[in-house]
Amino acid sequence: MRTIAIDLDDTLNDFTETLRRLEFVRDGTFALAEPVFQDYLARVRLGEVAGGNLLSTEYTYFRQRIHQVCYQKALARPDGVAFLQGLRKDGWRIVICTQRDLRRAQSCTRQWLAENGIPFDHLFMAGNKIVFCKCWGIEFLVDNDEFNIIHGSRYGVTVFYPRTAASPTPAEGHSDDPCGPRPFHNFEEILPWIQG
Amino acid sequence: MDPRVTLLKEFYRGLPRDHAKLETNGHGFGFLDALLAGGAELEYGELTLSGLLHKYKLAHIPESRMDAFLHSHVEKDCNVCLYFDGSANQTFCFNLDNNNRENNREMLPEMETAVRLLRKNLGRHGCEPLVVASGRGYHVWGRLDGPVPNGRLYKFMLHAAVATVAEIHAQGQDHHRIKFNFYPDPRVQDVVSLRLFGSLHARNRVFSHILGPEGPLDESASWEYFATHLRTRAYPVASFDAALAGISTLDT
Repeated sequence: MRTIAIDLDDTLNDFTETLRRLEFVRDGTFALAEPVFQDYLARVRLGEVAGGNLLSTEYTYFRQRIHQVCYQKALARPDGVAFLQGLRKDGWRIVICTQRDLRRAQSCTRQWLAENGIPFDHLFMAGNKIVFCKCWGIEFLVDNDEFNIIHGSRYGVTVFYPRTAASPTPAEGHSDDPCGPRPFHNFEEILPWIQG
Repeated sequence: MDPRVTLLKEFYRGLPRDHAKLETNGHGFGFLDALLAGGAELEYGELTLSGLLHKYKLAHIPESRMDAFLHSHVEKDCNVCLYFDGSANQTFCFNLDNNNRENNREMLPEMETAVRLLRKNLGRHGCEPLVVASGRGYHVWGRLDGPVPNGRLYKFMLHAAVATVAEIHAQGQDHHRIKFNFYPDPRVQDVVSLRLFGSLHARNRVFSHILGPEGPLDESASWEYFATHLRTRAYPVASFDAALAGISTLDT
């Protein structure tokens, strides 16, 4: 069965835009003073991951809660939804492959996928999606992560990525390689590349 | 049935056995089809950063299939992790982890202090816990002779942990380096599972030995201690209720 893996955040949705756009209100469930709340929010919006030398802190918990809201509110790309619905009709196996912590985000992720009419077969979290695709014999990955864009072809995984101002140029991404990464503006551009 | 499986089923009695997380190096769509044979469903899978270790959260696991998984667990072919019941449980667990971002597999002095003090604080309430090595620290299990509502279990654990953290701090050590989690946690029902005793650590393949009051036990002694603990160390619900009533008096 032909299989494709696809990322969610900033690939199939507008996660970063949602993070910047949404207004977050400090309610009683955030046990933080207003200045701390605003400081943490600004850091989350800048993409700050770590909370210092410790794995689990007040900040990392806050970040996870804000992200959780964005997972629910992010807008799906209509061309991405149509692309996956078309693949499903053609008998493709679709694997959602994300770096989200699915222990906590599984339920809201499934709900978001259902609400947006996005078909899929399996839901996976993977810190290294190239290794995942290699292990599972998946040739095609749709993902915006620069590491995967640059390194996918070396391991036989063709990565299709939404072109943005920050995207690697084709030259950086092994453009001569038949497995090389390919940028796209619209998901339907991917179809001829995978149906060959 | 392997007597170790019988021991596990008895110790973890009350934890739902129709869903679980499995840790294994097995992967691929053929493997997944075999895993789901009999009607189990995959909620999600995970490729961890520990070699090729995969985790599979499964639901609707038939009883016979769970028995097979437990057998694989004691044979060290996979690790079985179970979730807590959503309303009441007969077991509860403190999960103590090294909270450092770097080198978080090393045994911190704070960890040894935390386990010693937590054991003492629980003992003060008549509870002798089972302390099992985990990846980044210890699981400190309490087992009751009957189920108790989750909210009461959480309150009891919170108080024991706060007392322990205060003593770590008073001894001049940094309690932030230890992360305390308590299960069942009413805030994250069906989110976190705990590895059963008898597992191998995913990364270093070291047996999850028991830390007895006198020190760590080897594999064979750990199983003997586990069986003895199961037979003789159930924490009476009446004692738990009395301890919690005392704690609640302090609250007011």
